[in-house]
Amino acid sequence: MTRSRETLSPEVRALLDAERDIPVQPDTVRARAIARARAAIEAGPAAPPVPARSSRVALTMRWAAAIALGCLASAAVAAMTYGVSAHFARQNATLTTPPAPAIATPKAPAPAAAATPSPIDETPPSRPRVIPPPRLSPADAIRAELILLRPARAAVARENFAAALPPIAEHARRFKGGRLAEEREALRVKALVGLGRADEARRAAAAFRAHFPHSVLLPAVGQMASTGG
Amino acid sequence: MVGVSHLQILPSPARRVTSDEACLETFQKELDYVYRTLRRLGTSSSEVEDLAQEVFLALRRSWGEYDPDRPIRPYLFGIAFRIAAAHQRKRNREVAFGNVEPGDSGPWPDEALQSKQTRAMVLAALERIPLPRRAVLVMHDLDDVSVAEVASVLAIPLFTAYSRLRKARRELEAAVRRMLRERETDVR
Repeated sequence: MTRSRETLSPEVRALLDAERDIPVQPDTVRARAIARARAAIEAGPAAPPVPARSSRVALTMRWAAAIALGCLASAAVAAMTYGVSAHFARQNATLTTPPAPAIATPKAPAPAAAATPSPIDETPPSRPRVIPPPRLSPADAIRAELILLRPARAAVARENFAAALPPIAEHARRFKGGRLAEEREALRVKALVGLGRADEARRAAAAFRAHFPHSVLLPAVGQMASTGG
Repeated sequence: MVGVSHLQILPSPARRVTSDEACLETFQKELDYVYRTLRRLGTSSSEVEDLAQEVFLALRRSWGEYDPDRPIRPYLFGIAFRIAAAHQRKRNREVAFGNVEPGDSGPWPDEALQSKQTRAMVLAALERIPLPRRAVLVMHDLDDVSVAEVASVLAIPLFTAYSRLRKARRELEAAVRRMLRERETDVR
């Protein structure tokens, strides 16, 4: 192997040598990482590998082109339909209504007023279509959970415990029994302890014990709650 | 004649579980390496757990493509590099906020403290090298991977790998010299 390190000064070489050894992660970090990885495995089969960059770009461009074409086509159809019907409506109006007399006719309502629907308009307003949230594949779901919990963990690491609670709540709302629920609840206990909300922290720790009696995070959660209490 | 059902061609759930277990076992064994590599590639300590998890997900997705006869670390490095680079691009797009590292708690023995400071200095110096060049330097000068293998893992021509390595070393030298000067000024 070519190891041409002679271009490095002795100081830098010494620094690099000091960095060469890989520090061992604490047991809690290790346990958390493995628990998460296991959760991902239990969530289901892995998504197929991402295609190579070039084909991915090509695929994206094809999709973009298809969407653009679709939009153009529907816009053209809409414009034509609207244009034709408006044209016929104008024609009908000129055919059926006599020309307005020059004097003594009550003023027609202003177009703006005519455009607004009256309260007794018989046509009910069309209800907005409720689009259900897209169903995530297990792999995507765990990824979404990870992304959602990331700011909570970062906030706890920065000891900005108040900032950790909203993402925790959001995760609980979206992924109540999610794969990372265990980690979320552990973070909740830590955040509550950090905020000095000892009673809530104890309650959260008790709930954690009840829900995850075999959790690898249980000792850490118990210790956090007792320290905060 | 022995009839072969088409179902026999499909991987059985047991096989999948086995491959998942093998992947998990590898990840568990190389966890420290993954964490350190991500740190060397500029991931903050508060984000390293999440990105390590993404490395696992990517490793699991591509597990079928991995050749077990080859060393795992360069392969893992390739995954970690892509994930770190994607994360860096995303972070650059977002509104930047202070990257506050949690402080160390508890007393440290002198030796450990010194080693920790040295490591912190290396990470800080590496941080000043653009990621594509830093990846080459970390792989070659810290992980002892040959330049040819580096080029292959990072999907770059060999010549590019050499030129990135040369430049990265110059940048590292300059960064360390600057940091030492700054430290001396602080001491005075």
